[in-house]
Amino acid sequence: MIQLNDIFKYYDNKFQRSYVLKDFCLNINEGEFVSIMGPSGAGKSTLLNIIGMLDVADDGEYFFMDQPAHKLSDKKKVEFHRNYVGFIFQAFHLIDEMTVAENIETPLIYKGVKSKERKAMVADLLDRFNMVAKKDLFPAQLSGGQQQLVGIARAIISKPKLLLADEPTGNLHSDQGKEIMKLLKKLNEEEGITIIQVTHNEEFAQYGKRIIRIEDGMKKSDLPVATLLEQV
Amino acid sequence: MYLLKIAFRNLFQKQQHSITRIISLAAGLAFGILMLSEVFYYYSFDSFYPEASRVYVVQSNARLSDDNAEMDVWDRTSGAIAPGMKDEVPGVEVATRLNSIGNLIFYTADQKSYKGRCVLADEYVYDVIPRNMLVGNAKEAMLKPSNCIISSKIAASMGDDAVGKVIEFRKYPGVQLTVAGVFEALPENSNYKYDVLISMSSIAQFFDWDGSTNWLGNDRYYSCVKLDAGVNPKDLAPAIRKMQEKHQDIIKLEQDHGGELLKYTLIPIQKVYVSRIQGMVIILSTIALAVLFVSLMNYVLLTFSSLINRAKSSAVYKTCGATANDLKKIIFTESFVFFVLALSAALVILMAVKPLVENLVAHSLEATLNQYVLWPIVGVLIIFVLLSSYFPGRFFANIPVSAAFRNYKQKKNKWKLGLLSFQFIGASFILTLLVVVTLQYHKMINADHGYRSQGVYYCSTNGIDGSKLNMIMNELRKLPEVEKVGMGEEVPVYQQSGNNIYSQDGKKDLFNIADFYSVDENYLSILDIDVTNGRDFSTSGINNNDVFISKKCAELLKIHNHWEDGVIGKEIKVSEHQRSTIKGVFDDFIIGSIVEPDKRPSVFFYQSEEGFIRQKEKYPSMEFKLLVQAKTGMEANIRNKIKQVVDMALPNKDAVVRSLEDEQFNGYQAQLSFRNGMLAGNVVVFLITIIGLIGYTSTETTRRSKELAIRRISGASISDLIVNFILELQYLVLPSLLIGLGLAWFILTKWMESFAQKMPLQWWIFLLCSIGILLMVAIIAMIKYSRIASRNPVESLRYE
Repeated sequence: MIQLNDIFKYYDNKFQRSYVLKDFCLNINEGEFVSIMGPSGAGKSTLLNIIGMLDVADDGEYFFMDQPAHKLSDKKKVEFHRNYVGFIFQAFHLIDEMTVAENIETPLIYKGVKSKERKAMVADLLDRFNMVAKKDLFPAQLSGGQQQLVGIARAIISKPKLLLADEPTGNLHSDQGKEIMKLLKKLNEEEGITIIQVTHNEEFAQYGKRIIRIEDGMKKSDLPVATLLEQV
Repeated sequence: MYLLKIAFRNLFQKQQHSITRIISLAAGLAFGILMLSEVFYYYSFDSFYPEASRVYVVQSNARLSDDNAEMDVWDRTSGAIAPGMKDEVPGVEVATRLNSIGNLIFYTADQKSYKGRCVLADEYVYDVIPRNMLVGNAKEAMLKPSNCIISSKIAASMGDDAVGKVIEFRKYPGVQLTVAGVFEALPENSNYKYDVLISMSSIAQFFDWDGSTNWLGNDRYYSCVKLDAGVNPKDLAPAIRKMQEKHQDIIKLEQDHGGELLKYTLIPIQKVYVSRIQGMVIILSTIALAVLFVSLMNYVLLTFSSLINRAKSSAVYKTCGATANDLKKIIFTESFVFFVLALSAALVILMAVKPLVENLVAHSLEATLNQYVLWPIVGVLIIFVLLSSYFPGRFFANIPVSAAFRNYKQKKNKWKLGLLSFQFIGASFILTLLVVVTLQYHKMINADHGYRSQGVYYCSTNGIDGSKLNMIMNELRKLPEVEKVGMGEEVPVYQQSGNNIYSQDGKKDLFNIADFYSVDENYLSILDIDVTNGRDFSTSGINNNDVFISKKCAELLKIHNHWEDGVIGKEIKVSEHQRSTIKGVFDDFIIGSIVEPDKRPSVFFYQSEEGFIRQKEKYPSMEFKLLVQAKTGMEANIRNKIKQVVDMALPNKDAVVRSLEDEQFNGYQAQLSFRNGMLAGNVVVFLITIIGLIGYTSTETTRRSKELAIRRISGASISDLIVNFILELQYLVLPSLLIGLGLAWFILTKWMESFAQKMPLQWWIFLLCSIGILLMVAIIAMIKYSRIASRNPVESLRYE
């Protein structure tokens, strides 16, 4: 599903070039749940942004669902965002002026889903996430865990094939974090959504099937969780 | 609806500066719309006439003196020109001419009095410039002598049965007209206004001499022609010239006067009004657009600042599948909502200041509610909305997603400085304009006009029984407050009608003069006009019809007649007058106002007080003025006392006593309105600029809070930081100031072009205005920056 070949990402300063990602290669198959780990500034989020087509690599090739993402037009990228990719953020990034229901509905509007169908899909998801009573509340009226639930609901409402989560539990306390991880695992196992998460948390990383460690923009290790557990 | 809902909710979000944005936008829109609608209103004049694009006004282009290279242009002709063009110029479908006899008081049989602009018109008037007839037939009415038609406004004040009533004019006792019809009153945007149309065949009742068929001279007729469809007025020039050759003997006249002397041109009726106030139109448009532009830039600046706080939501929308166009739509809807709210607030402001505004613009605001004003305004507003949403929309759509999810801050502030600089340009431009306009206005009203106006009052003799004049003069002289009483046909505050001085052999005109006609022995001393050469009127040896001439007139006579031994005692012939002997020379004074002074030489003819009284007894409709000079410090209530005396000779006790000083002051009403407009514009632009400056400093302090903290830690004092920031701003302000001052200098030079006395555009005025702006910027920046600079740097870094 995802194939990164020799990806470079760098910033040119006056006298030197700083590499964020260096000769990075990666293959992720459909249905995988991958955790990316590494210290701050290692390039995790940049990698996620490149995979999510929010940022572009300075060099290298990126194929998403066999399409050369590094050559895609902005219009085509928007198509992919609408149909195949969902995003979950550490800071939730809900739109403050929208209610819970409206936040969840937003991707469907841009996907061109008709109003009636949208309402039904939102209602269905609210029911599934036990948030029906909160549908008319604004983000500021919700707890962090509830906000992240809304963020996940918004990310999956358009039935994406890939879910990119940038430290989804980073702003939550551990119990809320576990709940969110369980939910992501469930989405991966039951609905077959490919999930790539960036995390600092070893425990939460193990909710995935594979852990990739990055340091200084380079891949240090790429092992299945089962193998890692065996090593421990 | 979805976008509208979100836009409305956004209004109440923190850090959106919604109230500030709406207030500054509303202030700019209120002033900008008002000024622009005024400009469009000027352009709407006479457009209400059906097929107005085919109607033209005939202009006389004449060289008034042989020395004069340029031709003077005015939109009046001799009486025969309009019918002549109809008969002899192919392409002219129909023509008419109107002859104003003034703003007159008239009475109905029941002694009720009315006032209206009265105009003589021929039967073709409504074929060219038609009005809807509510009662009667205009053509039939205009054919019959002693007939008139009146406006619906006058008719309404007369009651339901106005038609058939007989009216009699105060100025023309015994002249009676029958109301034969009622026309729909002219709107305010009429260039040539009238309330009563009198049949041209009644002319003999108003004038001793009928000039309605005169080919040359007596050019007081407003001539209008309607051309055949598709005719270019310029193509009619040869035929018009042919008509002149046939009826005016123009070839011989030109030979005598050495070149082109008189020609007629056609100006579209819709452009007549605006052609007179071209300078004012340029200035108003510039100011209106400047204010709108400044408020637009300010709105964009504040919107950008608020959008920075929403950078993440731009990225979120994108991750939800929104395209750049979707984001632009969001911002467009928000801008539209802001604009609608600001426009509503602007309309509320305009309604609140309506009486003040109407006083300023000298017409009702409702008069601007016509298609020629509204559509262009709508067009300007649409452009405004598009611009106010385009730039922020583009900015919002282009925020890079990956950067937005981090702590997005702008790296550069050049664009903000650019937007702010437009506001500084606007502020310095309009402040300088205000200062110079105010100084010029005060210079004009305080300027020595060359005659006394303070403590001088006058009253028309219209309607006064001549046999009672002597009694009135005596009664006025008895008033303890009165210094002197005199008589004269004209006063210097108004433009005077012209007459020509002929050459000694009487064969050619030498030059045109402002003719003040007759004045008595007290007139010159009341107005404190000194006779510098020759004798005063009050001395003996002065006879009726002796003439006193201005210095300029004397110089011209010396040149033309080769009078090397002076002018005193010489005889001259002035049109409309018998040969007169020059008895004295006085210094030229300002005729009319300094804004548009009548620069011609002037003359006074002497007529004794007894002579005036005799004339009035003989010709009851003769009008002249009674002048009263008050004793110093005794002016209180004198107007009322003069009125009481004059009313003794008026059956309707309706004397109007005017102060010469007030009338002189009224001559500068347009400049006062302009000054007040400038003042309002200045307040608006300053408000917007201050808001913009506060917005800028707020975002800058946030953007650079880390830098400020680090500077503090590095040892900079609070004052060091403030001075540093203020200096940075002043580097931006200085070039903006120079541009603004340059623009102001250009516009002011244009504005003052025609003034007789000009406020010199001295460097210190510009310097003071610059210092004012610099101080304003420094004070606002100091207040804003001192708060952030004095913050604990650790706190700032933690905040960062």
